[in-house]
Amino acid sequence: MQRQRVLFLKENYVLRVLKNFFLAGLFIIALLLILVHKIDISIVSGVTQGIMYISSPLIHIVSLPAEGLSYSYKKLSEIMHVYEENEHLRQENSELYLLKDHMRALQAENRILKKLLHHIDVPQTRSYTARVIAENNNAFSNSLLLYLGSASDFIKTGYAVVTPSGLIGRIDIVSGKYARVTLITDINSKIPVVSQKSRDRGILVGNNTRKMNLIFPPLMAELHKGDILVTSGTGGGLPPDIPVAKIKRAGVDTITAIPLFSPSELEIVKIIAYDIVPDKTTSKELE
Amino acid sequence: MAETKNFCTTLATYTIPPVSIILIDLLFYIPRSSEIWNFIRLVPFYTGIYFWSSQRSDAFNGITAFLLGLFADVMSNTPLGINIMTFLFLYFLSCRLPSYFNIKKFSYSWLLFAFTILITISFKFLITSIFNRMWIPLNATTLELMLTITLYPLLASCYIWIERRYIHLEDRYEKI
Repeated sequence: MQRQRVLFLKENYVLRVLKNFFLAGLFIIALLLILVHKIDISIVSGVTQGIMYISSPLIHIVSLPAEGLSYSYKKLSEIMHVYEENEHLRQENSELYLLKDHMRALQAENRILKKLLHHIDVPQTRSYTARVIAENNNAFSNSLLLYLGSASDFIKTGYAVVTPSGLIGRIDIVSGKYARVTLITDINSKIPVVSQKSRDRGILVGNNTRKMNLIFPPLMAELHKGDILVTSGTGGGLPPDIPVAKIKRAGVDTITAIPLFSPSELEIVKIIAYDIVPDKTTSKELE
Repeated sequence: MAETKNFCTTLATYTIPPVSIILIDLLFYIPRSSEIWNFIRLVPFYTGIYFWSSQRSDAFNGITAFLLGLFADVMSNTPLGINIMTFLFLYFLSCRLPSYFNIKKFSYSWLLFAFTILITISFKFLITSIFNRMWIPLNATTLELMLTITLYPLLASCYIWIERRYIHLEDRYEKI
């Protein structure tokens, strides 16, 4: 009886040791995954795309009732304020008519000057609309999940995602009819920008908060609080002159900026397709 | 017939914990009206892993924690491996600490969860900062920690209900 008990205990002990070894193995696999992600091997994006392919439709289905409710509430409040809105739009319209004439004159002048200088235009952009179905903005990451619908065939990694306020992020992964966007506030986001006013360049780096840092500005940069930073177009990844952020603090050591978009407006976004050298898919689409 | 029944019961025992965690988490992805929701999207994972590995270690193992981590990494756009490591670490602590302290009262269990999650989120904070070579915001991390601790009773009640309703041990033995 005594001996049997000892044997039972030993078997339990062996099992526990094996379990611990197994857990250690899983830890090592996780560590390897982090390292593989760091050196950016295509197998990682394959795994991510696979999981996104399954999980995104699930999120979309679950979010549909809430979306319906939110849509009804929005429509109701719009109906309630329809007269005030109409008055406001009339005023805005009259102001815009004046601006339109001014803009036409400027456009004509611009065309003549470009011709004189033999200016080469930036490649034309195409745009698609997508709906935000989930967002994830916390201490560890800042991202969005988009439903692309039929436009999914023409969306590629790296395309700019904008709202009427300006740039909000870039397409990270496309999987099926869904895409994930890394917001400009994400810790992994680095956007080459230029000051709209002084044309001083720099790189806008996210840190998972609403305060982003501008790194590598020129030594004698003339950057001030309230200056707007726009995309510089350096590297060819993003089209130039898209508003990105506003400088909040321009100190001697650090320059911080806040994004122009507000989290509440992340409902419907525009994806800007920008290819300096059009590939097969783009050519097919343009045809 | 009995064998099939036994197989189905075992299958349910292993699938119900991760499925319940994922389904509750999907519900947390619905509201986008307030920014506060962004800080609680991973709470069902933390509470679920702690609950199932401390209360029903027979139904929850390292592989489940690993797969949940993989799912959370993709959903939350964190580098692949960060949440896997965090969940494995939480699983490791949850398996050992509650049995070590032998807690019976719910309030003490809540306190122990607070302690476990403090260590876990600190661990995640550290590995994410090392990965990005930059300190991630401490305020937001603290807020996430506080919300996780606050929501524990609510989510634990959901898991207790699921456990009693579907894979309660007495029921299982009666069926077998």
